[in-house]
Amino acid sequence: MNLSQHLPALIVVVPLFFAFVMPLLARWRKQWCVPVTLGAIIFSFVAAVKMAFQVMNTGPFSYYMGDWPPPWGIELGIDYLAAFAALTITGVGLLIIWYGSKDLLHELKAEVIGWYYTLYLLLIASMVGIVITNDIFNMFVFLEICAIAACGIISIKESRDCIEAAFKYLVLSVLGSGAFLLAVAMLYMVTGHLNFTFMAEALPEAMALYPNNLLVALALLIVGLGVKAALFPLHVWLPDAHSSAPSPSSAVLSALVIKVYAVAMIRLLYLVFPRELLGMAPVMEIILWMSSLAIIIGSMFAIVQDDIKKMLAYSSIAQIGYVFLGVGLMSESALVGGILHIFNHALMKSMLFLAAGAFIYGTGVRKLSELKGIGHTMPIPAIAFCIGAFSMVGIPITSGFISKWYLALGSLDVGRPFFMGVILISSLLNGFYYLPIVVNAFFGEPEKAVAKPKPLPKQMLVPLTILSFGVIFFGVFPSLILGIVYRAAQLLLGL
Amino acid sequence: MTITEIVLRLHANSYYFFAIILFIIGFHTMLTHNNLIKKVIGMNIMDMAIFLFFVAIGYVRGGRSPILEPGVNHTFINPLPSALILTGIVVAVSVTAYALSLIIKLYKHYGTIDAEEIMRIRGGGSL
Repeated sequence: MNLSQHLPALIVVVPLFFAFVMPLLARWRKQWCVPVTLGAIIFSFVAAVKMAFQVMNTGPFSYYMGDWPPPWGIELGIDYLAAFAALTITGVGLLIIWYGSKDLLHELKAEVIGWYYTLYLLLIASMVGIVITNDIFNMFVFLEICAIAACGIISIKESRDCIEAAFKYLVLSVLGSGAFLLAVAMLYMVTGHLNFTFMAEALPEAMALYPNNLLVALALLIVGLGVKAALFPLHVWLPDAHSSAPSPSSAVLSALVIKVYAVAMIRLLYLVFPRELLGMAPVMEIILWMSSLAIIIGSMFAIVQDDIKKMLAYSSIAQIGYVFLGVGLMSESALVGGILHIFNHALMKSMLFLAAGAFIYGTGVRKLSELKGIGHTMPIPAIAFCIGAFSMVGIPITSGFISKWYLALGSLDVGRPFFMGVILISSLLNGFYYLPIVVNAFFGEPEKAVAKPKPLPKQMLVPLTILSFGVIFFGVFPSLILGIVYRAAQLLLGL
Repeated sequence: MTITEIVLRLHANSYYFFAIILFIIGFHTMLTHNNLIKKVIGMNIMDMAIFLFFVAIGYVRGGRSPILEPGVNHTFINPLPSALILTGIVVAVSVTAYALSLIIKLYKHYGTIDAEEIMRIRGGGSL
């Protein structure tokens, strides 16, 4: 048996399998939990790297589950976008759980730590599943696994804020999944297929016969995935959920989970729905305005926060707006910017949350106003936070600049400089709330708890350092990742 | 379209019609009730409406379950939606179990399962 042929299945199955082994290990061999989790995610990461190379060399390929060809079997379609997203998820996911292996010890009760690894592996497996599947019902199943696992890694902390936030997230998530399933039913009704490729072939004909059906399906999909991705008016669950969770959970939720739904939406909108349908209703226009509002209002809310994690959570609402702005503009550069921002934001937001987690670990302080002088006593996390903040504002040589640059170019390409204005204003707003923290951190005098922090273990410092190198590296040499993003955008736009 | 035509159409599509009505009932319950258990019940009604809708897609009037017998020729229903919905039901059950366990935890922390009360105890309604 040739193992490398089966990588698309194994990248999902291996973390899924070890997720269910984990409770046993937690009972008998506690010290094995961390290495096994890391091993499973490293396997997925290596598989994702290998698939990305294969896609770049030989073009998109698909894998038939159980050797049943579509439309009968489930097809996993590895195209440029899927390989890129799988790479992001497994790479950033690996660094976060590496950091978490130490941070969790002080945030969670000892007996639930094994369960945390179960949930984390389930989350990684389901996210990779969502981005590589080519079957809409399979996508629904992964969406549900992802929703439960994501709520699980919040509520595992069992403080009252966490439980309440997790319940709110769960209810809205289920609402989103319900809308998604109803959309699947509407699409299956008129096309008779669940496979994306076959559906896309059948849709132009179906559109002539049942246009209303498809419009309803489209609306349900946008609402369903929009709730889960926290697109602006549907973001109400996000600030509580992302700020109350343990730091590694916040990092993975903000950096990866909300992006996965954006990837799912991109695939459905661009690859499945015919262009004429998108012309029948102003769908892209609606997405554009929602994302512009998200960018501005998310940043404004972030300015007034005093809790460091709550501020980062509101900033995520603004940042997911950038991704959807790229989706809505329908031009090559904008789509490149949007997809690239998925990766860049995953790097910088996970870094910011992990740095915030390091501050909380070291000093127990969450309030921004009390974090003065943290740069003197905890230099490495403070420098990482500083790099992340610069990248959020979009200062050149950081990766945040590259994606904003492409988004701005894209908005000029389609002749809508208004959206470039939105990007500029939001960069200013980002500066308003990130830069004072940086200034206070390095030029303030440390007081009380901040003056004598607990030393950070290596497992927390190394991932932070790697992430900050990543942000700078992909800001200076963006071409490494741009190659695959460009091809993804061209494939999506049919160029 | 006259009233009779509308009624006839609704009759012909009665499964879809009732599925949508159920969906709205569930949705309404979920959004307007403060009692968390009622919210979960609403969530389930909504899910069931979607399942009913999905299964109804596969139904063919006068069709039988697709068990092939040699020499007998029948109209069969489409079994795929039913198979899919089995998965959907499993998912709905696990979500319900998880939601109920969260409600138990909330009750332990706050001593109430009323969403407004919880908001009040937390101090300040945060959306």
